Amino acid sequence: MTAAPSPELRLLGREIPYIEGPLKVSGRSEYTDDIKRPGMLVGKLLRAPWAHAKLLRVDVTKARAFPGVFAVLTGEKYPTPFGVLPITKDETAIAVDRARYIGDIIAAVAAQDELTAERALALVEIEVELLPEYSDPRVGRTRVDVPIHEKGLNHSNIQKEVVQHFGDVDAAFRDAAATVRVRASFAGVTHAFTEPQCTVAEATPDGRLTVWSSTQVPHYLHRALSEVLRLPMHRIRVVKPEVGGGFGGKSDPLPHEIACAALALETGRPVKILFDRDEVFLTNHGRHPTFNEVRIASTADGQLLGYDIEALIEGGAWSSFGTVTTYYNGVMAMGPYALPSFRYKGQRVFTNRPPSGAMRAHGGTNIRYSVEVGLDELAEKLNLDPFDLRSRNALPPHSTTVNEFRVTSTSFLRCLEAVRERSGWAEKWRRLPYGHGVGLGCGFYISGSNSPIHFTPKMPQCTVHLKADMDGGITVHCMQADIGQGSNTLLAAIVAEVVGVSLDRIHISPVDSDVTPVDIGSYSSRVTFMMGNAARKAAEGLRDRLLDATHQLTGYPRDALRVGVERYEVVHRPDIGATYLEALHQAIQSTGAVQSTGAYISPPVGGTFKGARAGTAPAYSFAAYVAQVAVDDETGVYDVEKVWAAFDCGRPLNRLAVEGQIQGSIHMGLGQFMGESMDYRGTRLMNPSLLDYKIIMPHQMPEVECLLVGEDDPEGPFGAKEAGEGPLVATLPAAANALYDAVGVRFYDLPVTPDRVLKGLDRRRAESRVWKGH
Amino acid sequence: MHLDPFELHRPESVEETVRLARDLGPGFDYLAGGTDLLPNYKMHLNVRPHLIALDQVRELQGYTPERIGAMTRLANLDADPEIARWYPALGEAVHGVATPLVRASGTVGGNLLVETRCFFFNQSFFWRASLGFCLKADGDRCHVVPQKEKCYATFSGDLAPALQVLGATVEVAAPEGNRRLPLDELYAADGDGIQRHRLGPGELLVAVHLPPEARRVRSTYLKLRPRPSFDFPELGLAAALTRDGDRLSSLEVAAGGLETYPRRFRSITEGFVGGTFTDDRIRELAAAIQAAVRPVHNTAYPPDYRKRMTGVFVRRAVRALWEGRGAS
Repeated sequence: MTAAPSPELRLLGREIPYIEGPLKVSGRSEYTDDIKRPGMLVGKLLRAPWAHAKLLRVDVTKARAFPGVFAVLTGEKYPTPFGVLPITKDETAIAVDRARYIGDIIAAVAAQDELTAERALALVEIEVELLPEYSDPRVGRTRVDVPIHEKGLNHSNIQKEVVQHFGDVDAAFRDAAATVRVRASFAGVTHAFTEPQCTVAEATPDGRLTVWSSTQVPHYLHRALSEVLRLPMHRIRVVKPEVGGGFGGKSDPLPHEIACAALALETGRPVKILFDRDEVFLTNHGRHPTFNEVRIASTADGQLLGYDIEALIEGGAWSSFGTVTTYYNGVMAMGPYALPSFRYKGQRVFTNRPPSGAMRAHGGTNIRYSVEVGLDELAEKLNLDPFDLRSRNALPPHSTTVNEFRVTSTSFLRCLEAVRERSGWAEKWRRLPYGHGVGLGCGFYISGSNSPIHFTPKMPQCTVHLKADMDGGITVHCMQADIGQGSNTLLAAIVAEVVGVSLDRIHISPVDSDVTPVDIGSYSSRVTFMMGNAARKAAEGLRDRLLDATHQLTGYPRDALRVGVERYEVVHRPDIGATYLEALHQAIQSTGAVQSTGAYISPPVGGTFKGARAGTAPAYSFAAYVAQVAVDDETGVYDVEKVWAAFDCGRPLNRLAVEGQIQGSIHMGLGQFMGESMDYRGTRLMNPSLLDYKIIMPHQMPEVECLLVGEDDPEGPFGAKEAGEGPLVATLPAAANALYDAVGVRFYDLPVTPDRVLKGLDRRRAESRVWKGH
Repeated sequence: MHLDPFELHRPESVEETVRLARDLGPGFDYLAGGTDLLPNYKMHLNVRPHLIALDQVRELQGYTPERIGAMTRLANLDADPEIARWYPALGEAVHGVATPLVRASGTVGGNLLVETRCFFFNQSFFWRASLGFCLKADGDRCHVVPQKEKCYATFSGDLAPALQVLGATVEVAAPEGNRRLPLDELYAADGDGIQRHRLGPGELLVAVHLPPEARRVRSTYLKLRPRPSFDFPELGLAAALTRDGDRLSSLEVAAGGLETYPRRFRSITEGFVGGTFTDDRIRELAAAIQAAVRPVHNTAYPPDYRKRMTGVFVRRAVRALWEGRGAS
C-alpha cells in the first residue's frame, strides 16, 4: 500500500532504477581497487599484536634495506592527531608512542609487491613495555592504572559523559501509576560492507597530492589529510570512485588513508593500500557495545510521564564519533512519542579493543530496542494493546519535544494505522498458537544532522553546480557521496524533473575536490534532504534561464510559460513554445554554457543548552513495524517470517531506492538481533571474517511489505525525508516483541541466538509460568 | 593476503600420484577442490612447498551409486536425484555443505578429509602470531584447553557421518597397492585434532563404496549451524535404521562437528537393535548419545548447547525414520 505518485511530478515518486546500475552489474564501474597508476607500489601496514603497549623502539633499518622496499614510515614523521570530530582529535596515522589495540598501526611500508611488503614488515624490530589491558568498559569508569588516553576523566577511561534532565523525572515516577524497567546489553556489531577499504595516493612533481579513497565523506578526509600532512587543502585533490557500501564505517577519515598518502609523498610514486578482510574488522568503527537501562513512567491509562535512561557505551581505542554517539544513546529515545520529562546519563568508555564509531542508525538502535521492549511490557502491565499505547502518545505534527527538538511533519499515526491493518494484528496478537507470534516496534530518526561537524569557514552543508552546454547534456557537480544508496540517481532525477528533460541528459560528475563543490558527505541520513534541496535550487536556476530563453524566442513572458517534456510552452497555448535544445541554444548565445548553483543551509533549530545540537534535524522520519516469528522451542531456532514496514519518509522520491533501503535496514537490523556479534575474548576479536561473523543469509530474510504512508514534509525536497537509517531501528524490537508473543520470554541480551532462546525458555519453565497453554 | 609460491604437480593416474607422493615425502598437500586448503594457505596454515592437484587423475573421477570417485564434485551429487533417493542421508549432507559455489569446486574426498577447525586455528597469521601459535600450527600449546599434549580442533565435514551410517568403505591407494577399509577406520578415534585421518605417508583416497544394504535402510542427516547455508556444522547428525514391524532390526547413528573425528555410536546403538522400539526407547537412546559426546568451546555455538542439540537431533532423526517420514 503506497500513496499514489504526485500527478504534477513526471519522474520523482516512481521507481527509478539506479543510473549506474548497468555499469555496476557489468563490472565496468571503477572502484578504488580498480585504479592502477604507472609505477604503483603496494602499501602494507604493520599492526600491533599487543592490546596496550608503550613503544620504546621501532627500528625499521632492516626493513628499509630490504630489496624492493621504497619507504618505511613510523609514527613520528606525521604525529598530528586527527579525528572526525574537531573536539576529539586523538587518532594518528601511525602510532606515535603507544599501541592501543590489537591491530593498531605501528609502521607502513611501500614496496614493489605485496610479498616484498610483508617480508619487509617482518623485519621491523620493536621493543615495547606492555601496559595494563582494559577490555571491560564497566571497569574503565573508575580510576585505572594507565588510562588509554591521557584526557580520560579523573584518570579513568571515560571519554565522554553526558547528563541531561528535562522536565521533572522524579515527580513523574512519584506520580506514576505504572512503571517498567528494562536492562539490556548489546554486543558490538560492524558494518560488513562488501568493498574492503582501499586507498590510492599519488604525489606529483607539480607539488600536488591526489588521493582516491573508498570513503563516505571525501570532504572530512580532505581536511584531515591537509592537517596531518601539513599541506594546504588546495594542493590536495580527493577523489571518491564508486564505493561498495559504507554504513558509517567509511565516514571517519581513517589512519590508513593518511598513511597511504604519506607513503606517496615519501616515495614520489603512486601507492595503493587495500585491506584484507581481517583488517576491515579490526578497523571497525562499528556500533558500540552497549549496556543500557530504561525506566518508563506512565499514568494508569497509558499516558507517558517520563523516561529515565542510563547508557554505558564502549568506545574501543579511539574517540571517533563517540561524543555524538554518547548523546544519541539518550536523545534518540525522544520520538516518536510526546514525553513530558526525560533524564539521561550516558558514558562512553575507552577500551583496548577496535574503535567503535558510527553505524547505520547511529546511536539510535540500542536505546530504541530497550524503549520499545519496555513499552511492550508497559502495555501488558496496563492491559493495553501495544498499538493503543503508542497512538495515545504520538508526537503531534509541528511540535517541540521536551528537549527542544523541532518536529515538523510526522505521519506516525498513519504508520500505526497502516501496519496494524496490513499485518492482521487484531486476528494475530496473542491469538496465534504457541510458538508463533507478532510484535510491534516503532522508531524515528533524524533526517540529516542539523549541524555540520566543522563550523569554519561558514558554508552551506551542500552545494550543487550545473552546467548545460551545446551538446544538450547537463553535468551535475556535487561532492555528495554515492556509496550504493542511490544518491547519484536521485540527484539526476531531481535535475531532470525540474528542468523537464529526460534522465539520460544528466551526467553526474565523479566526486573530485578539484571539480565538485563541497557536500559534507553521506552520513546522518542527510543526503536526500540537503542535497535534494540544493539540487532543486540549482535546477530551478537552470530552468529559469531556459524559460528566459523561451521568452526571447516566443515573446511570451516567463510567468506565462511552463515546463513540458523536453519543451517549454505557453500555458494557454501549448502549441507555442521551444524545445529544450532550442531554448538551450538560445541561452548559450551570449554566455556560453549555462551554469547555475544551488545550496542548502539548515534552519536554526534546537535549544541553547550544552549538547542541544545533538539530535536536532530539519526533519524526522517515523516508523512502525510488525514482525511475525515462528519458534522451534526444542532448539531455540526461530524464523522471522514476515515484516510489515510502515515508514514515513515524507514523499518517497525513488520508490525502488526507498524499498531497497527498508529491505537492507531490516536485513542489517535482524543481523544484529539474530546473530551478528563482534565476539571478543578479552581484548582479542575472535571472528574477524565473513565466515565467523554471522551476517544473516538470504534464506533468513523475511518477506518484507513496505508501506510508504508519509505525507509531504514542508521543508524536504518535494516533501521528502530520509530513508537510510530510520528504517533500521524498529526492526529489532518488533522481532523481540514477536518472540515474546510467541513463547512468553523477553530477551535482554543481543544477539538473541538459539542457545539464548533455549535458556530463556528454561527460565520460564523453571518459573512455572504458562504461556498459551505451554 | 597472498599465497606463498608453491610447485604444482598434475599427475594423471593413481600410480603416478602415489609415486609422486612418495618422492615428495611430507612436503606436499593434495589439492582436490581447494575450497578449504587454499584459504588456509593464505592464512599460512601449515603451508607445503608442493601441491599435487588431483583433477586430472583418471581413477578418482566419476561415480556410480555403488562407487563414488574421490574427485566427484559435490554439486554433481547434489544435482542427482538418484543419490537423494537411494541414500537420503548422503543427499542431505551434500546439499548442506557450504554454498553452491563451494559445492561446485568441493569434492567428496575433500569433504571426507577436510581439515579440522578451531577458533584458534582458522585465523590469519597476524592473529595467530599475536596470541602465540597453537599445537596445530607452528606452536606448542592448546588455547582451547590450555595444555601441551592434545589438540581439540573439531571435525567439520558433512559427508562422513552420513556415509558412516550407510556402512561405507573407502578405497585407498598406497605405494604397496590398494586397500579397502571401513570409513570409520579412516579416522583416528583417539581424539587428537591435528591428524585428521589415518592414511599413511603417500596414501591416497581413491573412492567411497556403498554396500547394497545402504539402499535398504532409512537414513537422514540433520545439520546444526547458525545460518542455513555457508556455515560448517556445529553438529552434523546422521542416522540410519531398518524397521521390521515393531522391531528395530538395524540402527546406526554418527555425528560430526562435535569432536575431533566423526563418531559412530555403535556401542550405544547396538543395545537398541532387535527389540521393540518405543518413544521411551528413543528418548533413552538420545540421552545416552547426548551424554557420550564431548564438544569443546572452539566453534560458534557454546558446547552445552551443541551437546543438548545432539539429544534433540537424535530423537528427531530416529523418530522420523522409525515413523517413515523425513526429519528435516
